[in-house]
Amino acid sequence: MNIQAGIKLTAAEAALVESYNEQVGELPGDGATLLARDTLLSDLKEAGLPTRRVEAWHYTDLKALLKSVPAFLHGASAQRVEPIVPGSTVLSVVNGKAHTRLLPEGITAKSYADTLLDGSAAAGLVARDADDVIGRINGSFVRDGLIVEIAEGAAFEAPIEIQSVQNCGQVNTRFPVRFGAGAKATVIERHLATGEDAALVTSVTDMRLADDAEVTWIIFQSEGEADTHLAQFKAELGANAKLRLYVINGGGKLVRQEIHIAVAGEGSDLTLRGINLLGGESHTDVTFTVGHDVPHTTSTEVIRNVVLDRARGVFQGQIRVAQDAQKTDAKMSCNTLLLSDDAEFSAKPELEIFADDVQCGHGATVIDIDHTQLFYLMARGVPENKARAMLVNAFVAEIVEELEDETLVEALEGVISDWLEKHA
Amino acid sequence: MPAVQETIDQVRQIDVDQYKYGFETTIEMEKAPKGLSEEIIRFISAKKSEPEWMLEWRLDAYRRWLTLEEPTWARVDYPKIDFNDLYYYAAPKNQSGPMSIDDVDPEILKTYEKLGIPLREQEILAGVQTSKIAVDAVFDSVSVVTTFKEELKKAGVIFMSISEAIREYPELVKKYLGSVVPTTDNFYATLNSAVFTDGSFVFVPKGVRCPMELSTYFRINEKNTGQFERTLIIAEEGAYVSYLEGCTAPQRDENQLHAAVVELVAMDDAEIKYSTVQNWYPGDKEGKGGIYNFVTKRGDCRGKNSKISWTQVETGSAITWKYPSCVLRGDGSRGEFYSIAVSNGHQQIDSGTKMIHLGKNTSSRIISKGIAAGVSQNTYRGQVSTHRKAENARNFTQCDSLLIGDRCGAHTVPYIEAKNSSAQFEHEATTSKISEDQLFYCLQRGIPEEAAIALIVNGFVKEVIQELPMEFAVEAQKLISISLEGSVG
Repeated sequence: MNIQAGIKLTAAEAALVESYNEQVGELPGDGATLLARDTLLSDLKEAGLPTRRVEAWHYTDLKALLKSVPAFLHGASAQRVEPIVPGSTVLSVVNGKAHTRLLPEGITAKSYADTLLDGSAAAGLVARDADDVIGRINGSFVRDGLIVEIAEGAAFEAPIEIQSVQNCGQVNTRFPVRFGAGAKATVIERHLATGEDAALVTSVTDMRLADDAEVTWIIFQSEGEADTHLAQFKAELGANAKLRLYVINGGGKLVRQEIHIAVAGEGSDLTLRGINLLGGESHTDVTFTVGHDVPHTTSTEVIRNVVLDRARGVFQGQIRVAQDAQKTDAKMSCNTLLLSDDAEFSAKPELEIFADDVQCGHGATVIDIDHTQLFYLMARGVPENKARAMLVNAFVAEIVEELEDETLVEALEGVISDWLEKHA
Repeated sequence: MPAVQETIDQVRQIDVDQYKYGFETTIEMEKAPKGLSEEIIRFISAKKSEPEWMLEWRLDAYRRWLTLEEPTWARVDYPKIDFNDLYYYAAPKNQSGPMSIDDVDPEILKTYEKLGIPLREQEILAGVQTSKIAVDAVFDSVSVVTTFKEELKKAGVIFMSISEAIREYPELVKKYLGSVVPTTDNFYATLNSAVFTDGSFVFVPKGVRCPMELSTYFRINEKNTGQFERTLIIAEEGAYVSYLEGCTAPQRDENQLHAAVVELVAMDDAEIKYSTVQNWYPGDKEGKGGIYNFVTKRGDCRGKNSKISWTQVETGSAITWKYPSCVLRGDGSRGEFYSIAVSNGHQQIDSGTKMIHLGKNTSSRIISKGIAAGVSQNTYRGQVSTHRKAENARNFTQCDSLLIGDRCGAHTVPYIEAKNSSAQFEHEATTSKISEDQLFYCLQRGIPEEAAIALIVNGFVKEVIQELPMEFAVEAQKLISISLEGSVG
């Protein structure tokens, strides 16, 4: 594909097109897979990267923010790391390549590349809508990932950690995940970098929860300071299924984490908890949509943001209630501690309601540390910086403590306090 | 709730019998040829005997407008407007500007009488407590009469149609016109800048508290015309003014365009209170006809400790696209926005506000109540932002939506942008239907269902109604109950 005359591409857009042309010969899959890739890329090229004028990207002008695209490297050399929670079952994708291994009963994992090769993945290589840039980039470039299936009724004592680690270059992965009816599991989806050179990471997780499944899913992103991380998490919930989703962002230079949930079965419930720890010169955007399509479903979302230095944070949340989704109960709140005058936070919590018998609400606050609380601690002899740290820690740790599993709570609290120590 | 026959009948009548301002005045009109071109703009400008700079200003806006595209981000859906299929100027024959009440065509006077707008300066009768309201009556493209002008002049207040002001106080107009909403602002504001025909001009000098309520009443009468009003209100240091705006139009099958621009300027310690009761024709039960209302309203708190307060009751129009905003430039300035938006039938409302905190210690408050019934769509869209240097900005936002019936939609789209760590923003929004408990409680005490709903709705909007001047509050309350009548079922 050549750059058409007349269409002015930005450096990053041109680099994406060029990178595709370079890689296309070795990307897994031909026939239907290749056709799907070509379509996504040509759509990407035609529409370009989104600007503020695209409502879904209002606060993340990707065209301006994405300055360059690192080349795909064959010799990337990251190694897998220890899981966050000791004793977890670890599934890993290292430098974009999946490694499958012997797993406990009730869980199977297959390489996603195989389905690209045999063409069965082609049908999934489509964009969600016209603004789905992550879907387009990822779908064009995806090389591997893991197809994870949790058997009906399966339950596990230890968490499952899906680890995607790289040191630099390009990593484009997909994770189709199926939970059988009544399955119960805790999964940690972890994205991290072990190198300091820039990486472009795109990741699409596509999850289905069958009826009565109960899942705690934790996304922990700690990419490097030069990295771009564009991720999408999609889930569809069956009847009475429960998804407890934690999203923790503590890294990256340019981050967009999209979360799209269809609360599609009666009696299903979504709990979303987000923690955004933002420092340096990073730009982090969490964009969330939940669709309540059937009656009697619930969702609650709590997002806590700590913004330091020159960081910019964005939260866009949309609760959509379809006409027939009576008796929906949905609550969303987004609280931000803005701790620097050079930092920024923008929130757009949206309600889109088409049914009348519902209880929906959202709240959003942006504040500094409560001075009375600070005074209270200092009056008791706690030095100011320590008192501040305690209050910031309490602001986000509160959310983690809702989890019942103590080792998990401890591990996540450790992750948070490490970050705060490093940045405060 | 099961629908009783009475309710069903009422639903059937909805929007056809209820719009009591839907009559048409038959009067000979003078119109500019259809369409939009530099010639038409020159025609309008000549009709208004405008100075050369005004014409240039208009033409400049028009040339820019030609390069702009219609915005599509609002949650409203309507067929493409053919801007060349409209009359941009329509005035009653022999009336190209305001005149003495005795010279005004009796048909026009009758119209305002029917609408309940006092155009004669009634003396206050001994022992009867009625407060005075000065009215500027705008009929299609011209202001026909402005009352109490002399009395206001004694207090130093200038209140007249903007066309007159351009002729009589060109320096004042030139200084402020377009200083809040520049001609480059947006598609509709730019169009308005090119073709605006009339509207009101208010100037309250330093230290003067305007002795009476000021009011402009807009009436669209002629077919296929667009109304492009332009209002400019300036409150100098320490001044105070309360201004009301009302609007109605005849019932017609085709849609009509109304694109207004309102600019407010408040200097040090000044306060402007701007209230609107918008009751343009909303269209019939099939969604046929009605006014397209695309309005840019913005207040500039230019001085220290100034205050601008917008209160709006929106019940009319097929489409409403309106975001009265405050630019809080002066230190310690304050912006307020109180809104009730009621949509029924096929109405679509996308309305809200912008509070832009630029100065130090600024505060703003937003209370928005949306009520959706029928198959209408009602969206609140609001922005609160702080500039990096705007220390100690405070905002409180509350937007509640009430849904009546299961075919309508209520949406909330707030944009909260903080760039200063001392900002304190609080935002909350809820959407629910009328609580069955509350309804049951009323019914059980023998209050009929319709009355019970009216009662509950009135309670829901009370906070906003309280902000309206008294004469309007009563009117607004009635309007809301009319708009919602027959929506239960």
